[in-house]
Amino acid sequence: TPPELAQKVSESIKQAEETCADDPEGGECAAAWDEVEELSAAASHARDRKKDSDPLEEYCKDNPETDECRTYED
Amino acid sequence: MAISSLHATTSLHSPCTTNTSFRQNQVIFFTTRSSRRGSTRHGGARTFQVSCSVDKPVVIGLAADSGCGKSTFMRRLTSVFGGAAEPPKGGNPDSNTLISDTTTVICLDDYHSLDRTGRKEKGVTALDPRANDFDLMYEQVKAIKEGKAIEKPIYNHVTGLLDPPELIQPPKIFVIEGLHPMFDERVRDLLDFSIYLDISDEVKFAWKIQRDMAERGHSLESIKASIEARKPDFDAFIDPQKQYADAVIEVLPTQLIPDDNEGKVLRVKLIMKEGVKNFNPVYLFDEGSSITWVPCGRKLTCSYPGIKFAYGPDTYFGNEVSVLEMDGQFDRLDELIYVESHLSNLSTKFYGEVTQQMLKHADFPGSNNGTGLFQTIIGLKIRDLYEQIIAERAGAPTEAAKV
Repeated sequence: TPPELAQKVSESIKQAEETCADDPEGGECAAAWDEVEELSAAASHARDRKKDSDPLEEYCKDNPETDECRTYED
Repeated sequence: MAISSLHATTSLHSPCTTNTSFRQNQVIFFTTRSSRRGSTRHGGARTFQVSCSVDKPVVIGLAADSGCGKSTFMRRLTSVFGGAAEPPKGGNPDSNTLISDTTTVICLDDYHSLDRTGRKEKGVTALDPRANDFDLMYEQVKAIKEGKAIEKPIYNHVTGLLDPPELIQPPKIFVIEGLHPMFDERVRDLLDFSIYLDISDEVKFAWKIQRDMAERGHSLESIKASIEARKPDFDAFIDPQKQYADAVIEVLPTQLIPDDNEGKVLRVKLIMKEGVKNFNPVYLFDEGSSITWVPCGRKLTCSYPGIKFAYGPDTYFGNEVSVLEMDGQFDRLDELIYVESHLSNLSTKFYGEVTQQMLKHADFPGSNNGTGLFQTIIGLKIRDLYEQIIAERAGAPTEAAKV
């Protein structure tokens, strides 16, 4: 996970645990855990994007005419 | 770009022929309502001014709790239509929108009326309707459906803020994905087809563990707490939408392995509403009858735990439905093709198309079980539905002019 997001995730978890310790039934508690979910999902998507991306593929998407990106079909 | 005048009997649809790599977005011309109203009718001959524009899109709704972004379902769907879906080039890098040649997928989180700070202040989750602007959602989906472009807000999941809007052109197929596609009745009525992805609690827990355990800060307890804290709002606002869906994909733990809690082998049900226009449910062997089928035997050898199918009619929230169910996993190509050859009403264009689509994305999650299979089948059904709608419109240009 990109470090900035990872940081946000762990902070939000701490935040949620604190908020819910005071008032486990309240809206603030639900909102806090919802934020954890949102950030965890974002972190997961970021990891997937990183996994998929290949620097050469990315470059060739925008520059298909360059020598490195030429393709040949027999 | 062509301006053509047509008579009532000819097809209204000459889709913009785009040259090679031109994205349809770039050659779009949209007709304003006034030019449509300018069509005159004299006696029997009717003339229309039609500029080279995208036909009015077919609108699909997908309800899912997985957040937006490259969800597997969306990637499979866009793949059926051909082409890969990508974020809009040159725009906000945190945009949630995906665009391919035929399809545009937007994330309904973009219609949040409260950003992350706002929700924290009010003590409201993103699941709560109070955090979403349904009026704007309705206005914009309606505009797209009428063939108009929109300036759609962007909700940035990284910062939690609402970013400046992005321009979205009407595509052939417009998919709205998110938590509330079927929540508002007006939006519901705009959908040509709707799908609800219903993940059972046990499976949701197993998946979230897989997703989050590697994350620093998360523990089994925090994952559990997060699911439980969101459950009341989820049950109150999101879950009820499934009664409106034309198709529900329900994901349950397997029944083939006693006490399995890994959530790796899955039992998946495809619940298809009967009587939906342009949608003919998939069936096994004999439509309307009830069947249990274990394909593994003399002709097909499967490895543990095997594969089990069921099909039959049922009722679901008061609606007549047909349910196709698969429990287990595909291990080999020949299992997949064997199963495909026994299913009917798949809306494939050639024998083996389902298998081919599944193989194309063998690295996607669910490629070896019912989730991938049914998502692929629904993708083909949506293609079929789209083609039927287009054909209908071509056959009735007078109806189209009235809009």
